[in-house]
Amino acid sequence: MSFGDWIGAFLGFVLTLLVFSYLIGDNPLFRITLHIFIGVSAGFAAVVAIYNVILPQLLEPIFISNRNEQILAIFPLILAGLLITKISHRFAFIGNLPMSYLVGVSAAVAIGGAVTGTLIPQLLASMNLLDVQASQVFDANVGLRLLNGVIILIGTLASLAYFQFGTLSGSSQRNQFQSWIEGIGKIGQIFIAIMFGFLFAGIFSAALTALIGRVITSLDFLRGILGLFLQ
Amino acid sequence: MKNPVYTAIAIGVGIVVLLGYFLQIDLLANLRIVLLEWATILVAVALLVGIVNLFVVHFRKSAADQQNRINSIVLIVSMTITLLVAGWFGPTHTYSLWIFNYIQIPIEASLMAILTVMLIYAGIRLLRRKPNLLTIVFIATAVIILLMSGALFGIDIPGLSELRIWIGKVPAVAGARGILLGVSLGIVAAGLRILIGADRPYGGS
Repeated sequence: MSFGDWIGAFLGFVLTLLVFSYLIGDNPLFRITLHIFIGVSAGFAAVVAIYNVILPQLLEPIFISNRNEQILAIFPLILAGLLITKISHRFAFIGNLPMSYLVGVSAAVAIGGAVTGTLIPQLLASMNLLDVQASQVFDANVGLRLLNGVIILIGTLASLAYFQFGTLSGSSQRNQFQSWIEGIGKIGQIFIAIMFGFLFAGIFSAALTALIGRVITSLDFLRGILGLFLQ
Repeated sequence: MKNPVYTAIAIGVGIVVLLGYFLQIDLLANLRIVLLEWATILVAVALLVGIVNLFVVHFRKSAADQQNRINSIVLIVSMTITLLVAGWFGPTHTYSLWIFNYIQIPIEASLMAILTVMLIYAGIRLLRRKPNLLTIVFIATAVIILLMSGALFGIDIPGLSELRIWIGKVPAVAGARGILLGVSLGIVAAGLRILIGADRPYGGS
């Protein structure tokens, strides 16, 4: 290990201890470490945005590319210039124009992504649940496959019913419908609780892996220091 | 009243991009790519604007005689050093990677590590505060999944690992699918509200 690596390892060890100090309660050292983290992350994010997006996609086409690309790059340059006015309170309203552009594109991308990336694939998967040839739900046994398919279908519909937040008012028939949906939604809550329990276990495992990793790295550093002194 | 020009831009650009997703017309597809590239640039610029704002806010806090000004000073110093080093040498240079490997990763991994304790604490607190059916189902699922991830104390109890696989493949999938469909429908509804001009979250007076 070079001298720089030793310094880095020492710094990493100290920062780890400072973060772990939160376990005995919120304290100023933990907050300082968090602010170091925010500062470094923000700095890196800015540099990555400049090197990976702004330089190659905005500035290089203007200064290096041919005439067509230069003309095409002028529009985002103007929009970017207008967006920068958001820094100032007085001129922030000028930045609303590029913001409206961003919001429009984001809404379209969100709709396109939700429909093609989630809605259609998930609906197709739900439709195939009772197709014995296509489904590979759990067991080679056809009866069990069908049973599992029915459970998933009921669970999906019940969980979806839990998301029914619309306001229904008026006739008693509608109220009865609403109470039906609420009843099905309660079954859906159980499926959602199981799913969150599953997620919780996954996140806990990841956090435990990170904890073991930090403890091993810190012990390795201490062993290295002890080895240096004992030599 | 909102400026109609902003609304027209949001609706026009959004509809062109959306049509580019679903209609196989070369002109629309190419236009969608160009509009998305411009949006990528604007997102990067918006990120820079946000970071400059963060810097300015903490600069003001550090200049004012406030109780926690040391935190703001630390943030400004760490951000400035990172910007100078990574900005001058490039984000993949050895010096930049030194900052990344020995400052950012240890803090990030340690924050993730203390999540272990926080999650256990939150689980116990949930059981004590709301000991209802849903809480018990939630905790029981988490415990079963965690305990059956490997052989417990070297003992492999038959049937339990199958139970774990079944939970992951049947009821958890059902819950996740319901949530995914619900969230997607919500996104589509919110997006359409913007594209018809019912919601205009881009300021203007």
